[in-house]
Amino acid sequence: MPRIRRAVEKIHKIDEEELIILKKRVDIATTLIIIFIALLIARLWFLQIKKGEEYVKLSENNRIRVQQIQAPRGNILDRFGRVIITNRPYFNLVWTKEDAPNPDEVIKRLALILNEDISNLLTSIREASGQPRYMPILLKEDIDWKTLVYIENHHFDLPGVRVEAVPSRDYLYGNMASHLIGYLGQVSREELDNLKNSKYQGGDPIGKMGIEKLFEKQLRGEKGYRYLEVDVLGFEQQILQHQDPLPGDDLQLTIDIDLQLTAEKAMEGFGGAVVAMEVNTGKLLALASAPPLQLEEFIGGISTKVWQEHLNDPLHPLIDKTIQGQYPPGSTYKIITALAGLTEKIITPQTVFYCNGGLNIYNRRYGCWKSAGHGAISLQRALSESCDVYFYQVGQRVGVDRLAAYAESLGLGQKTGIDLEHEKPGLTPTSAWKKMKKNEPWQDGETLSVAIGQGFNLATPLQICRMTAALVNGGKLYKPQIIEAIKDPEGATLEKAQPDLLGSVYGSEQDRKLIIKGLIDAVNTRHGTAGSAKMSTITVGGKTGTAQVVRMSKFRSIPEAQLPRKYKDHAWFTCFAPAEKPEIAVTVLVEHSGHGGSVAAPIAKQVLEEYFKGKIPRETAE
Amino acid sequence: MLRFDRRLIQHFDWIILLWLALIATMCLMNLYSAIYPDKPAGTPVYIKQLYYFIMGMGLVLAIISVDYRIFMAWNYPMYGIICLLLLYALIFGNTQSGAQRWINLGFFNLQPSEPAKLMLVITLASYYSRKDTGKGFTLKELGIPIALTLFPFLLILKQPDLGTALMLGFIFVSMTLFVKLKWQTLNILLGVCASLIPIAWKFILKPYQRQRIETFLNPEADPLKSGYHIMQSKIAVGSGLTFGKGYLEGTQGHLDFLPERHTDFAFSIWAEEFGFVGSVLFLSIYFFLILWGLNSAVSSRDKFGTLLCIGVVSLIFWQAFINLAMVMGMLPVVGMPLPLFSYGGSSLLTTMAGIGILISVRMRRYQVPS
Repeated sequence: MPRIRRAVEKIHKIDEEELIILKKRVDIATTLIIIFIALLIARLWFLQIKKGEEYVKLSENNRIRVQQIQAPRGNILDRFGRVIITNRPYFNLVWTKEDAPNPDEVIKRLALILNEDISNLLTSIREASGQPRYMPILLKEDIDWKTLVYIENHHFDLPGVRVEAVPSRDYLYGNMASHLIGYLGQVSREELDNLKNSKYQGGDPIGKMGIEKLFEKQLRGEKGYRYLEVDVLGFEQQILQHQDPLPGDDLQLTIDIDLQLTAEKAMEGFGGAVVAMEVNTGKLLALASAPPLQLEEFIGGISTKVWQEHLNDPLHPLIDKTIQGQYPPGSTYKIITALAGLTEKIITPQTVFYCNGGLNIYNRRYGCWKSAGHGAISLQRALSESCDVYFYQVGQRVGVDRLAAYAESLGLGQKTGIDLEHEKPGLTPTSAWKKMKKNEPWQDGETLSVAIGQGFNLATPLQICRMTAALVNGGKLYKPQIIEAIKDPEGATLEKAQPDLLGSVYGSEQDRKLIIKGLIDAVNTRHGTAGSAKMSTITVGGKTGTAQVVRMSKFRSIPEAQLPRKYKDHAWFTCFAPAEKPEIAVTVLVEHSGHGGSVAAPIAKQVLEEYFKGKIPRETAE
Repeated sequence: MLRFDRRLIQHFDWIILLWLALIATMCLMNLYSAIYPDKPAGTPVYIKQLYYFIMGMGLVLAIISVDYRIFMAWNYPMYGIICLLLLYALIFGNTQSGAQRWINLGFFNLQPSEPAKLMLVITLASYYSRKDTGKGFTLKELGIPIALTLFPFLLILKQPDLGTALMLGFIFVSMTLFVKLKWQTLNILLGVCASLIPIAWKFILKPYQRQRIETFLNPEADPLKSGYHIMQSKIAVGSGLTFGKGYLEGTQGHLDFLPERHTDFAFSIWAEEFGFVGSVLFLSIYFFLILWGLNSAVSSRDKFGTLLCIGVVSLIFWQAFINLAMVMGMLPVVGMPLPLFSYGGSSLLTTMAGIGILISVRMRRYQVPS
């Protein structure tokens, strides 16, 4: 094996001199090693002989426990600093495997005391089986005072059982803004696996939905801990060491409690959404989805039965309709059609079309909602009275692809970028889209439906609100914002929101002003479709809309009142005020309730009234 | 090379075989007690460890049947394979508690960082014995050994396995101190090391690693886990008193460690059950191997053999010392198993392979180099 021989030849042999040096070094090493061993033996002597008795005591009679101290979670405030959600202490029942010699008996007795199904307790214990035996397992959250007193009094009969005081969420306004704010729950196994850092342990609360989830890092603070010496019965002997927890940061929302409550109250009994936005900043003053979530159902984990019920509820309470509800925009889309027509120079404010209740084109008759017709009509009145035929004419000349471009410049067909989960983008159809999606060419007649906001069009209430804001604020598209500021526990501001300009709208300010005039008329003239939003002291402008749910003609001939709810059209109303120098835009969508003017507009008016309360002295009602 | 030299059997060290049997018995006894009285599902750890010991013995026999100088010939290919395995484990390997990476081989989980330690010993021994001119190494000449150490060091540090990476450092230092260095070289190295410590503290160590060192310096300040375990370990060791609580009588409730700790604190179980007397006895038996290994280094017939022995001894000694010091609360917690005593296949097999090398060198000490 030549290779080995070559290697061997290279090896340096050891001669006498080197051997002596080597031996010397080995001696040094041996001495060092003996010193190290002596160190270890000395330490052993120290632990076992000198302090041995102490340690025996600690191991048999006393135990050392580590207790986590939960950090108070950050508060959630409204834009004026009023507290919406804070913490209150509540009492958890925990059980430590190590302290319980007879687990089965104790659990059985607990089930009786708590009036709880024993299988639930066993499930909690089984889920925590990976944990060390000295770590407490959460058996029941938020026990009432009576149970607490009973447990404390019968401590000796229930070894291993203990009550822990933890801070928990206190919802000062009940279910207000429930979809936006979200809720907390216990951290699950999967979440523990996914979270890279080990800041969480089984039983810790974590935001599961909404703001509580998205701003979990800021809200949660930092846990504290305590080293305790406990005796064999689990009673605390002394605290060896402790570290205080750090409270989480407070979140100040852009929401105004008064507006939010007004909006939610007005929507009671309906399904739908209300969005109120500050037009010059994009900040949301109200964001309400109806019906609201019942937040107590989620404490401790919602039961499957209740979840199933909600899934089957025709009002769809689980969906946040402000950002997830996608509906045909209906006549609110006419703002887009008008803007496209003016900017593309297809129409001027003086252009007149004739509406006799419908338009005959493409071998069909496309009807106007007013079967008697509007007569000769130009832009201002067409907007005010929402004439379909006028906009069929405009839309047909603009074409679906250009309409889509204008719609997108006003923020439709894409997510708004709001810092919330599961936002839906809506849909602005184009001929290319139809070819790709349905493998069919675009039909000219479909452009007419698009022009009045029906057909394939879909938009969320948030998008329509932002569109309205962009119309009246000089053509600026802002990112909708829900966080006003983040404050540390002492009240110092850590971060403050600034308006985030995302884009500009096509068209000139002059054209926009023409449209605004039409919308003012819609509210304030006799034939306008939105008279029910008229206010006595503030000039309001707005647009009604009706989103068709069913297009089949057989249903369209039945009087609305007799239609089953699910076939009724959705009602839209979007508005702004005061018209001279708009500050606020409000959009209301009410599902399955017929025409926008009659149902949605009054709700928007209530929100506007609340907003202007105290800002401008109210004259006595007419 | 494979000629059956009768003298090999003459010089075969039966003592060390007996010693291995003794250590194996103590280890299995201890593992049994660690689990007792729980009856976990699947093969119990002491049975698995028994299999590993048997495999280890096979490994030892294989190694001693060839001349150890074959390792010098195959040094670089082996080094390359280990580095590839380390890379593979880093990219594709499974992680346990965010530290050691391993590769799932089905019946066996291979931690490449373990054989990497032994590989470094062989590589450094090979380099130093070939290049030694007797005039002392200059810093430039140390460049290659440093690079050879640095490459696996960084790969392992990235895992992130601080403990094993440091072991590579210890092996390098221990072995380098046994070859002749120019004084200048030694001084420069010492200076560089001293200045690296603050840099390492700030930039290389991860926060939790820094925290462990801080915990050690101030054990009471540790938030939750590792300070708690050290406290429990000291209680276990200390409560053994002079003669211990007796076999199987340790209060296991306190040592209910998370699985990955189960390997590191094996000695606390022994100390609790057999007390001061039993612990000192254990230390004596254990360090017999160290002294025997040093003796093999001196009696070796060539430099390569000497350095191999020094390297294997430092590998075993440092791991043992750090583990024992950690268990007794003298050092911060690093994931360092006690060789031959903690549960774990990769560590056991690597250590036994090292012992195989020691036996091989010792057996051939009278052979005249051909």
